[in-house]
Amino acid sequence: MAAVSAMVSIGGRPSWSIRVARVFLVVAAVIVLAWLLVLPLIAIFAEAFRQGWAFYRDAISQPDSIAAVRLTLTVAAIAVPLNVVFGLAAAWTMTHFNFPGKALLGALIDLPFSVSPVVAGMMLILVYGKYGWLGSWLEAHGVQVIFAVPGLVLATVFVTLPFVARELIPLMQAQGSEQEEAALTLGASGWQIFFRVTLPRVRWALLYGVLLCNARAMGEFGAVYVVSGHLRGLTNTLPLQVDQLYQENFSAAFAVASLLALLTVLTLGIKRLLEWRHGEALTGR
Amino acid sequence: MGIDISRLRRQFGQFAALDDVSLTIADGEFVAVLGPSGSGKTSLLRILAGLDQPDAGSVYRDDEDLLALDARRRGVGLVFQHYALFPHMTVAQNVAFGLRVRPWRLRPRASVVKARVEELLRRVELESFASRYPAQLSGGQRQRVALARALAIEPRLLLLDEPFGALDAQVRVNLRRWLREFHRSLGITTLFVTHDQEEALEMADRVVVMNRGRIEQIGTPEQIYRYPATPFASRFIARGQPLPGDVEGGILRVLGHAWPISGFATDGVSVITVHVRPEDIVPVVQRREGWSANVLSVRPVAGTIRVGLHVAGLDEPLEAEWSERDWLRHRVEVGETIGVHFQSLTLFGSDGEGRVHARTEVHPPHGTSPITVGPWRRLEA
Repeated sequence: MAAVSAMVSIGGRPSWSIRVARVFLVVAAVIVLAWLLVLPLIAIFAEAFRQGWAFYRDAISQPDSIAAVRLTLTVAAIAVPLNVVFGLAAAWTMTHFNFPGKALLGALIDLPFSVSPVVAGMMLILVYGKYGWLGSWLEAHGVQVIFAVPGLVLATVFVTLPFVARELIPLMQAQGSEQEEAALTLGASGWQIFFRVTLPRVRWALLYGVLLCNARAMGEFGAVYVVSGHLRGLTNTLPLQVDQLYQENFSAAFAVASLLALLTVLTLGIKRLLEWRHGEALTGR
Repeated sequence: MGIDISRLRRQFGQFAALDDVSLTIADGEFVAVLGPSGSGKTSLLRILAGLDQPDAGSVYRDDEDLLALDARRRGVGLVFQHYALFPHMTVAQNVAFGLRVRPWRLRPRASVVKARVEELLRRVELESFASRYPAQLSGGQRQRVALARALAIEPRLLLLDEPFGALDAQVRVNLRRWLREFHRSLGITTLFVTHDQEEALEMADRVVVMNRGRIEQIGTPEQIYRYPATPFASRFIARGQPLPGDVEGGILRVLGHAWPISGFATDGVSVITVHVRPEDIVPVVQRREGWSANVLSVRPVAGTIRVGLHVAGLDEPLEAEWSERDWLRHRVEVGETIGVHFQSLTLFGSDGEGRVHARTEVHPPHGTSPITVGPWRRLEA
C-alpha cells in the first residue's frame, strides 16, 4: 500500500511511511540492476584480464579474432545502412499514407521482434540453402549465400529490421506533415523536402535507432549461428568466435567477449549522451 | 479577372466536404471563408493550395488552369494555423526557404536572397529577430514569420488557414488590424478561412459563409449581417434565434400575435423559420404591450448587457443584447417580469431539403394604440 502511494505521490510533502517506501523501492531497484547487469559486466572484464594484460593482448590479436572483428564490422556496415533506408521509407509510408494493408505492414515490421532468431536463421536456410527454394539456382550462378558473408548479412538485416522504423514512426506520427506541406507550397521538390525538412526533424531519433540497430547487428548470435557454418577466420563473427573459444580456451573467450561488451557499453554511453542533450527532440516535441 | 472557382466537389467516403462550390475572387480582394468546423472551408483552401485535388470542378487564375499545376509550381502562399515553421532553421532561413529551393537557374544570388529576406522581415516588423529560432518567438511573431515566408515566393494568391486561431485574444485583435493594413499595402489577392464571425466581418471585403460543404451566402460583411440569406447564415453570423411561427394566407403568427405580411411567396415552401437577433429584442415600459418575459440572467459583457429571457410559450431561453448606457438608465433585475418587443424578425421559407425559396424582414407593429417604448431602447431602422 505504501509502495503504491510512493509511486503516485508526486510533489507535496510526503509522509514518513511514503519516504520509507521510496527509499526501499530505489534500493531494491539498484540491487536488482547491480545483480543482473552490472555484476556480470564486471565479471566479464575481470575474467578477461585474469591472466594478465599480455595474455589479453595475445588473445584479441590472434588472426582469427581480428578476422572476427573485421567480419562483424563489415556485416554491421552493410546491414545498418540497409535498415536505415528501409526504416525511413517504412516510417514515411506508415505515417503519411493511408492504404489497405497498413496494419499488416505494421505487424510485419514487428515480426523480427517476435520470431526467435534461430527460426529466422532456419527460414534463410530453407530459402537460400543448398536444398532450399533458391539454392540450386543460386549455386548454378556461382552465388553462395548460406555459410558465407551474404547469409550473415541477410540474417542480421532480418533481425535488426524493426529498430530504425520503430524509433521513427511515433515521432513522425506526432509531428504530422504540415511542415512538409508548407515546404511543398514554397516550391521545394520531393528530395529537397526530405533532406531539408523531414530528415533534420527526425535526425536524433534516427541516430538513436541506428545505435540500437548497430548494437544488435554486432551482438546478434542466434540467426547468425544457424547460417554461418563456423569457418574460423571466414564466417565467424565476434559472438560466434566467443562461443567457439569458450569450448576450448576459457580465458581467451572472455578476452574476446570483453571486446563485444565494450562495443555495447560504448553504444549505451552514446545513447545516454544523446538523451541527455536532445531529450526533447527524441520524445517528439 | 482574379480567381474563378467553379462547381468544386470533394467527397470523403459518404461525407461531402465540398458540394458544388463556385466563387469568383477579384484581383487584390480580401475574402473570408466563414463556417463552423467541418463546413468544408479548409478543404477548399487545400485544393486551392494544391495539397488536395477535387473530384469535380475547375479553378482558373486568369486563363490559367490552376488544378493542372502541382502545388510547388502554383505560386500560392499558404499560412497554416499552427505556423508550420521549420524549427531547425532560423527566422531568416525560414523566410529564405522558398527562394533557396528554386531550381538553380531561377535561384536568386545569395546577396539578393539576403536583401529580400531583410526587406520582408522589416515589413512584418521582425528585422531584429532574423537569427532567432521559432521556439524563441511568441505566437504572434511566429505567425508573422510564417506570413513573411509565404510572401517570399511572391505569390499571386495568399491563403490563410485560421491565421489567428492559436493566439490569445489581445494579440489576435492587434494582429487582425495589422494584417488588414498589411493587405491594403500589398494588394495580394487573399483568401482566409475562419470560424470566427467577428474576425470575418471586421477584416474581409467579402465574406463567404459555408455550411456542410455548401456556400450559404456571399456578400459584404454589412449585407451578410443585415440580410442573412439562409437560417444558417442568420444563426451563425447575426446570432439569429428561432421563434415558433407560421404563415397562412398572408398572415404571420408568432407566439400568439399575428400580422399581415406581403412579399413572401409560399409556393414550394414547407418549412417556415422565424429568427430574431439579440439586439432586436427590446424591452417595453408598459407591460401589457408586446410579449411577457421573465428575466433569467443579466451579464455585462464588454460594454453590452446580455439578458437571458424566458418568453411564455418558448422552451429555449432567448438572449437579448442591450447597450450599457441604456441599461444604466433603466435596470431590470433577475426574476422580474418585463414586456419585450421584437423590433425586427427575419422570415425564411425553405423546402424539405433546406433550400430557401423566400425570405423577408418583418417589423411587427406595436399593437393598435400608440405605445411608449422605453427611453433606452435602441433607435434603429
